[in-house]
Amino acid sequence: MDWPALTLSLQLAAATTLLLLPLAILLARPLAWSRFAGKGLVEALVALPLVLPPTVLGFYLLLALGEHSAPGRLYHALTGRTLVFSFDGLLLASLVFNLPFAVQPIQRAFDAIPRGSREAAWCCGLSAWRTLWRVELPLAWPGLLSAIVLTFAHTLGEFGVVLMVGGNIAGETRTVAISIYDRVQSFDESGAAAMSALLVAISFAAIGTLNVLTRRIGRDGHDRV
Amino acid sequence: MDKLLTTGFRRLICYCLLTCGAGCGAAHASADQADTGPAVAAAADLKFVLPEIAQAFERASGRKLRLSFGSSGVFARQILQGAPFELFFSADESYVELLQRAHRTMDAGKLYALGRLVLFIPNGSPIQADRNLGDLAAAARDGRLKHLSIANPEHAPYGRAAREALQRAGVWEALQGKLVLGENVAQAAQFAASGSAQAGILPLALARAPEFAERGAFTTLPENWHAPLRQRMVLMQGAGETAQRFYAYMQTPAVRTILSNHGFALPEP
Amino acid sequence: MATIAAGLSVTLRQRKPVPLECTLDCAPGELLALVGPSGSGKSTVLRCIAGLHRPSQGRVECGRASWLDRERGIALLPQHRRVGMVFQNYSLLPHLSAQDNVALALWQLPPGQRAAQAREWLARVHLHGLERQFPAQLSGGQQQRVALARALARTMTVTDEPAVLLLDEPFSAVDQVTRRKLQQELARLRRELSIPIVLVTHDLDEARMLADRMVLLHHGVSLQSGPPEEVMTRPANAAIAHLVGLGNLFEGIVGGPDANGKLVLEWLGRRLEVARNPGFAQGDKVNWVIPPEGILLHRSDRPSRGEAENPVSGRVVDCVVLGPYTQIMLRPESDQGKLPLTFSVPTHVAQRNRVAVGSVARITLLAQAIHLMRWEDSGRGERR
Repeated sequence: MDWPALTLSLQLAAATTLLLLPLAILLARPLAWSRFAGKGLVEALVALPLVLPPTVLGFYLLLALGEHSAPGRLYHALTGRTLVFSFDGLLLASLVFNLPFAVQPIQRAFDAIPRGSREAAWCCGLSAWRTLWRVELPLAWPGLLSAIVLTFAHTLGEFGVVLMVGGNIAGETRTVAISIYDRVQSFDESGAAAMSALLVAISFAAIGTLNVLTRRIGRDGHDRV
Repeated sequence: MDKLLTTGFRRLICYCLLTCGAGCGAAHASADQADTGPAVAAAADLKFVLPEIAQAFERASGRKLRLSFGSSGVFARQILQGAPFELFFSADESYVELLQRAHRTMDAGKLYALGRLVLFIPNGSPIQADRNLGDLAAAARDGRLKHLSIANPEHAPYGRAAREALQRAGVWEALQGKLVLGENVAQAAQFAASGSAQAGILPLALARAPEFAERGAFTTLPENWHAPLRQRMVLMQGAGETAQRFYAYMQTPAVRTILSNHGFALPEP
Repeated sequence: MATIAAGLSVTLRQRKPVPLECTLDCAPGELLALVGPSGSGKSTVLRCIAGLHRPSQGRVECGRASWLDRERGIALLPQHRRVGMVFQNYSLLPHLSAQDNVALALWQLPPGQRAAQAREWLARVHLHGLERQFPAQLSGGQQQRVALARALARTMTVTDEPAVLLLDEPFSAVDQVTRRKLQQELARLRRELSIPIVLVTHDLDEARMLADRMVLLHHGVSLQSGPPEEVMTRPANAAIAHLVGLGNLFEGIVGGPDANGKLVLEWLGRRLEVARNPGFAQGDKVNWVIPPEGILLHRSDRPSRGEAENPVSGRVVDCVVLGPYTQIMLRPESDQGKLPLTFSVPTHVAQRNRVAVGSVARITLLAQAIHLMRWEDSGRGERR
């Protein structure tokens, strides 16, 4: 059992989820409720990581974050290290390939909120920000939970992009998924089996919790006890 | 507590705080690496020998290393893209020369071993372990051989050498369509050892490893069937003290003995 | 809680997505009904007043506050207008209790005051004891009351800003018994309100019951405004007569004054006395209407005094019992193929007078009830 790899994976998943959630909310709101030119294009771009092979994503991310790119140079100037093959680079890549997993459930949840609920809040004098906090997010919260769980679980399992953008550097970019790959190549089948079983257990627990919680919430948005 | 937050929403906040707490550690994760040792990139044929040497180094000096194994060509590309390895063990010196020309290395590096190829037959395979690869072509024709695993010749030196050997034996053409390319020699070895391939052209160092012993038999291929596998190691620009110490440690007689025991031919010191 | 007396003044014009050409005013304390068939744009007008829809041209002013003025580029958001809106399907927030829903409108107050005032408003709409219930646990009528309490809390709590109460078909989603109760409560409650109230409804009876004045809207155009009784018994033209459901629409010619100096209307060879002349001259062709309430059935057994006013006899062509009332269609004598008069009488009266299809009956057309309008050749001058 490669504990450092597990810790790294959990940290990557947690950091991705934490950073991506507000971004996804910001992006999902106009997609759900506004009509603007290019909306279809934005939705397609958001959905792209779902269908693109991870190697394609990895290839473009390497170009976008590499040594000769603007972000890469900025990072190097700030920290003296390269953005690719670092945890921070992996985090950025993770934000990109998890985008549809975070945005789509939230967008669907926002879509399901009746327009009248928001209008009622506005007519009560609530500003757009207050309406978001008091009305929209509480009513969309099964979608938010879905986004959190899916992003977390998906990050734990991502392999192709991590391998291309992160390499396989212990303690920095060697996630559990990469470690399993490593173990198989080292003929350490028991190690690979143990880590694989753990990943299955974590994913199962995450999806199971999600199902239980969303069922308990019901369609009304408040607890049915 | 503001009554406008429902229980469910409060749970969501707690969930977020938990991930926040876990995620906060992430920001420091990168900073912590300073005390767990330099990153070392090593060709996959060293997968069983280098950890042994690294352990001895740790015991002797108290310093840790972080080893990554893979294809020499892949590592060279990653280093060109800025991967933070401080020491590179290539299975072929041409990659070291490549990095030197790109001004990534401290110097020209040093030869640390000469590699050899073997034909590996896993247990239960119907192929004969013939050092002239004579049975391979026949097996390909009569269907006993469905897959032969080698490392990818495009970027793994041992894969390139395997191709040269197969061409030299005159069986390369017959084996087209039966080749399984591993991303590096360790993966090629795994294909063969698991029985997914009926045979493999692998590094001697891997085939001699204890982990391999029970899995099959091997026979060493003639040295002159391929360009020599001159394995060179090199320190990268900005390599730290630990990496430099290990580089020096690799040249000590003790380490040379270990390398020899694992099947590597040694260059002149 | 008195608020500053601020009247509402609205002018709206647009072509898409919903055509509008509407002008209306509502004085403080007045209940204005916005009436029209489905698709006439009434909800859109209300949404323009609330700020939920921005018309291409128009002005909305409440008191001295200009909420919308497209020419000057002013268009306040709903949250910056003091508007209490009651939606057709309540739009209560399902994750908040009744009290918290009302408290939403009181968000500017400190938390302690908020809860107390919310409870007060719920008590005002007779929902005391149900504060902690969630919308899913309340009946339709109860939910609408919460919505009303919320709208009142929004408009009545602050006293130095002009405010308006808007109701968008608030009773159409509940059953009839509940609707009656809610209508009665609204009628009682509004006496305490001194802000303009605009009620959108497609139900003319509701307008008649609750409104001080009404505006008739059709295809986005405001056709006529005035007290409901006036609009519904004295429509400005034949088209409006159709919209308010006046079926007895006929053509006639204005005759000279009769012996008593009253105006005479010539119709089907008869000379009808008309109490009011809106300015027609002798010989003018007119459309005229008479509401069903203006037609009285003569007793069949013996004539009585007072039934000499505009008597018409004819044959009953249809007689439909609709519960306590019976609707009768009478074809006047000497009327070849012309359309009948429709009126209704209590069923017991119809039975006592043995009204049946084919039987002869005599009626009186009350002179007060006959209303003359300018003649328009809409091809529908006379209709069922």
